[in-house]
Amino acid sequence: MSIEQEEQSDIAKVRFFAQGYHVWRGRAARLGFFVLLIGVWQVAASLELWNEVLFPHPKEVADAVVLGMRDGTLPQAIEASMRRLCMGYGISLLIGIPLGLLLGRKRLLDDTVGSLAVGLQALPSICWLPMAVLWFGLSETAMQFVIIMGSLMSITLAVRDGVKTIPTLYLRAAGILGATGWRFYWYVLLPASLPAIITGAKLGWSFAWRSLMAAELLYVTSGIGSTLMMGRELHNMALVVAAMILIITIGLLTDRLIFRFGESFIHRRWGFGGRD
Amino acid sequence: MTMVELKNVSRVYLGQSGPVYGLSGFDLRIAEGEFVCIVGPSGCGKTTLLNIVAGFEPPDLGEVLIDGDKIAGPGTNRFVMFQEHALFPWLNVSQNIMFGLKMAGIPKREREERTAALLKTVNLSDFSTAWIHELSGGMKQRVALARALIMDPEILLMDEPFGALDSQTRDMLHEEVELVWQRTRKTILFVTHNVREAVRLGTRVILMTAKGGKILREYPIALPRNRFLEDVEVVKIASQIRDDLRHEVLRAAKEEGYHVD
Repeated sequence: MSIEQEEQSDIAKVRFFAQGYHVWRGRAARLGFFVLLIGVWQVAASLELWNEVLFPHPKEVADAVVLGMRDGTLPQAIEASMRRLCMGYGISLLIGIPLGLLLGRKRLLDDTVGSLAVGLQALPSICWLPMAVLWFGLSETAMQFVIIMGSLMSITLAVRDGVKTIPTLYLRAAGILGATGWRFYWYVLLPASLPAIITGAKLGWSFAWRSLMAAELLYVTSGIGSTLMMGRELHNMALVVAAMILIITIGLLTDRLIFRFGESFIHRRWGFGGRD
Repeated sequence: MTMVELKNVSRVYLGQSGPVYGLSGFDLRIAEGEFVCIVGPSGCGKTTLLNIVAGFEPPDLGEVLIDGDKIAGPGTNRFVMFQEHALFPWLNVSQNIMFGLKMAGIPKREREERTAALLKTVNLSDFSTAWIHELSGGMKQRVALARALIMDPEILLMDEPFGALDSQTRDMLHEEVELVWQRTRKTILFVTHNVREAVRLGTRVILMTAKGGKILREYPIALPRNRFLEDVEVVKIASQIRDDLRHEVLRAAKEEGYHVD
């Protein structure tokens, strides 16, 4: 290697480490911030300004999590909630994505079914619970129904809007390349709408998650929402906070593990959107 | 033998101050193997003409015949290269090129062979698995050209395909189009606002009126090929066309009541 080449490779190395430095500095800052937050919480709890029942110690919350995990109540609650969520959300995706693709293409369908979806979107999903209980009784079906009504419209409408903003140029190119009928939907419309489908899926997920928690709070059954409610009834504030933290964690993990994957896929191919 | 024939074609748009004629009573005959370039001031209806021949827009009046058959919508005997590349971002370079063959149900093996050959033609063999956004503007248009050629259409319609490229890249793509035309003698309808480009490439240049969507003049270009943008003869003819174009723009402006020096 010549001296110039060595110098250049040194510069490249420095750049590489500088990039890593930014990433790690961001992570360290985030970690430090949350440690600080827990510290402030610890101090506030030790001052005993409030009744211990109303303002639990961080340690008590941690103990509640550990205890719940050991005796199996928390894993059971998580499993019950996730099972409902996966069923309800899965059905919403299965109906919502094709429906959104169709609404984006068929004017008449959009004018009728599309405007119904917009109307239903204005109704908070928990308002479906009374009807769901009357129709399906105190059952899993009732819960899933609420989740579907909560997430289906947002998925459908996000996909529809995505289809409507596909550049005309792609559609014309598809026409002259001979993509007609089902081939057009499968090979052009579906992939061209992928960015919108991922946005819709993400939106639908957060609506489904909120709907489920609301339903579990209002309706005594199993699940994380019910654990939260049980904590209130037992005046076990540590359990309430533990359940809340669990709800946040599951929400964040899903975003990181599932949607980031989709977003970076889009980023690689389209060269825009997503996160790095 | 006439390949493309436009008979009394009209297309009207609703403008803010009354109807705007994209084309009106437009007649044009293009023989097989001709390279016809359409030039004219912006808004003269060049793109309307191309869209109608492509079948993207139906004419309000008149008809378009190809080999004597009236067209109804887009067809695989015509292929369009757009102003922007219109390549699919979810497919890589070679998947984009072979997309049309896949739609036609050509077996995978043959698709790949033909794609590899065309990648070589447009000098992109090293980029077969690149994503579209990773390519430069000129490379994108070369992929678009390969995607057009693989369809082996009888007629190639080009809508200012090199308008957004820098001049060196455009020169290279002119060479490639020239080669393709000389080798295959496809009928080409090429829309551009660049008069010299039209003279460099065309066997015939058609100048359109500024308003009203009609043909103002036609210029057969009998210069020997291969030509270059800098050739004295090319420049001479181009400057004549540009004079006519300038007069036309001024005339149209005066008609609308603008004062022009």
